[in-house]
Amino acid sequence: MLEVRDLEVAFGQIAPLCGVSFALEKGETLGIVGESGSGKSLTAMSVMGLLPLSGGRITAGSIIFDGQELTKLPEAAYRKLRGGRLGLITQNPMTSLDPLQKIGPQVDAVARLHLGITGQQARARTIEILGTLRIPEPALICDRYPHQMSGGMKQRIVIAGALAADPDLLVADEPTTALDVTVQAQIIRLLDDLVKERALSLVLITHDMSVVAQTCDRVVVMYAGRAIEQGPVEAIFAEPQHPYTQALIGCIPKGLSEDEHLVGIPGTVPTVMNYPKGCPFHPRCIRAEDICTKTSPSLLPRVDGAVACHFPGAAP
Amino acid sequence: MTNLLEVRNLSKQFKSSGGPFRKPRAMYAVNDVSFDLPKGRVIGVVGESGCGKSTLARLILRLIEPSTGSLRFDGDDLRAKSPAAMRRLRADMQMVFQDPYSAIDPRYTITRALIEPFVVQGRYTNGTADQEVSELLTMVGLSPGLASSFPHQISGGQKQRVGIARALALRPRLLVLDEPTASLDVSVQAQIISLLEKLHDDLGLTYLFISHDLSLVRYFCDEILVMYLGRVVEALPETDATVRHPYTATLMDSTFAPDPRQRRIIAPLEGEVPSPFDQPPGCAFADRCPRATAICRSETPVLSTAFGHAVACHNPL
Repeated sequence: MLEVRDLEVAFGQIAPLCGVSFALEKGETLGIVGESGSGKSLTAMSVMGLLPLSGGRITAGSIIFDGQELTKLPEAAYRKLRGGRLGLITQNPMTSLDPLQKIGPQVDAVARLHLGITGQQARARTIEILGTLRIPEPALICDRYPHQMSGGMKQRIVIAGALAADPDLLVADEPTTALDVTVQAQIIRLLDDLVKERALSLVLITHDMSVVAQTCDRVVVMYAGRAIEQGPVEAIFAEPQHPYTQALIGCIPKGLSEDEHLVGIPGTVPTVMNYPKGCPFHPRCIRAEDICTKTSPSLLPRVDGAVACHFPGAAP
Repeated sequence: MTNLLEVRNLSKQFKSSGGPFRKPRAMYAVNDVSFDLPKGRVIGVVGESGCGKSTLARLILRLIEPSTGSLRFDGDDLRAKSPAAMRRLRADMQMVFQDPYSAIDPRYTITRALIEPFVVQGRYTNGTADQEVSELLTMVGLSPGLASSFPHQISGGQKQRVGIARALALRPRLLVLDEPTASLDVSVQAQIISLLEKLHDDLGLTYLFISHDLSLVRYFCDEILVMYLGRVVEALPETDATVRHPYTATLMDSTFAPDPRQRRIIAPLEGEVPSPFDQPPGCAFADRCPRATAICRSETPVLSTAFGHAVACHNPL
C-alpha cells in the first residue's frame, strides 16, 4: 500500500531526515516510534506532501502509494489525494478544528470536496460516520462548536473528518498524546476497530512503546532522523537487535517486580543541529566502538525486518 | 513510624465570579482529602487531568490557601503559621514542578537559580556559594561546569535536574513532585526517576509523587492515592494491593502493557469526567460506572476501610 524508500528531507542546509525506509500493506498497522526530534512527524508530513508548508523538501528517496510515486506529484494532484485517499489525524485536536465553524459543516466539507456529493448527502454521511465513532446523538453534535466538546470528543471529530472521504491510508500523528489515559484507551480501541472493519492501512506515530505493543503489526524505530530498526511487533519486543531499541524498551516500567530497575539512557537525544557523526546513537551506546564514531551503519535486513547497527544482537 | 505530614479533611473551593450573562459558580478542586505521609515513604497521587492532584500539591505547601481542613507537618499545624513562619518552614518542604522550561528564570544562570533558595531564607553567605552549587550539581548528576550556563543552553532533562537540585538546596525533608517527568522523553524520564530513587535512599527523603501515569506510580511509590474529581476514591496501601474501586480498575485496564504478547481487548470506559461545576448528586463516577446502583446516584460514598483498605464506593469490587 505504502512504500517509503531511503527518504531524505532537508530544510536548507539542515537534513533532519536521512534514510528512512519502510513498507506497509493493506489492512496493516505500522507504528513509527521514537523520542522527540527523531523525525517521526516529519516522516508523516513527507507522506502527506505537507513539507513545502514548513519550507522543507524531499532531497532523495521515494514514497510509493498504491503504485503511484508521490515525491514528484504536482500539488494539484496531491490535493485530490490528501483528505481523499490519504487521511491525516493530527496530534492536537484542540487546534485542528476550526473554532468558528460548527462540527457538521467541517466534516461535510471533506466528503463534498472529494466525493462530489451534495450537501444533504454529505450530512447524512457525516451523521453515519459520527455514529460509527460512538459519538452519542450525532445529529445534534453537528450543530455544536468545537469549544463545546471535550478533548476526546474533538479527537473523534478529527477522525471523522479523516474518514469522511473513505481513505485507504490513515496517518495518525500522536493521536492520543494530548488525552487522558482512559480517553486514550477509547481512541486507540476505535482506531483498531476501524482498521479491521474498513481494511484501512494505518501509520501510527507515537513516542509510547506501550501503545505500539498494543496496536501495531509492524514497528519502525527512529532515532535522529533515521529508521534504525524495524520488524514485526513481536520480534521487536521479544528480540530487539539494536541497542537503542533495547534501551528504549528498558525505560518503561513494566510491572511490580522488586528486581526491576529503570536506568534510562545516559545523555540526551541529539537535536538536528548536532547529529553525531557515524552512528547517531554512538555517544549514548554501551556497545560503541571506533567504527561507530566514523561510519554510519546501513539498514541491513535480518529475519523479517532490518537493523542499522555495527554490532547488532541480543542484549547482554 | 512517625508521620511527617498529616492531611485532614482538606478542601479547596474555587469560585468563578459572575458576569453580565453568567451566574457566579463554585466548585471544589479538592474535596475532603485526608491521608498520612510517614517519614521516608513515597506516596503517589494518580488521576486524570482535572482531578485536583496539582491543586492538592499546592495546598500542602500552602502556595494556595485551603478553604477548610487541617495540615500538620512534623506535628506543627501549618495553617496556624504566619506567612513569615511558613516561609521559614518551606525550607523543610520543597516542590519540583512539572515543566522545567518555565520553572527556572531564563535570565538566571544555573548558579543564580541554585542560590536563590538561600537568599530567600536569608542564609546566603558569599564565600560558600560556589562550593554549595557544585555540590548540588554533583548530587543530581550534572557537571559543576554547567554552573555558569543559562537555562536555554541545557536540555530539558538537565533543566529538570537543576529543578531538583534547587528543591534540594535547603536540605528539605519532604519533596512534593508534581509530574516531574511529564514533559520529558522516556529515556530521560527513566534517568530522572532513577535519580529520584537514589536521592530518596541517600538523603532519607519523603516524597509525595503526583502523576497521571499509573504504571510509573506503581513502579516508583509505596502507596497510591487514586483521585477522581477532587476526592480520593481509593487509597492502596501497597502497589500490588487488590483494587476495589471500579475507577481504579478502569485506570489499570486503560494502562497499556509494553508487551505485544499481553495484548488484550480492553472495554474502554464510556463517557467523560463530568464538569466539577455541576456535579451530579451521589458518587461522581456513577454515570460511567458499570456497577452503579440507585444509591450511587443519591448518596456520596465516603472512604471506608470495611473492605481492607480505604475505598469510597457503595459497590466495591
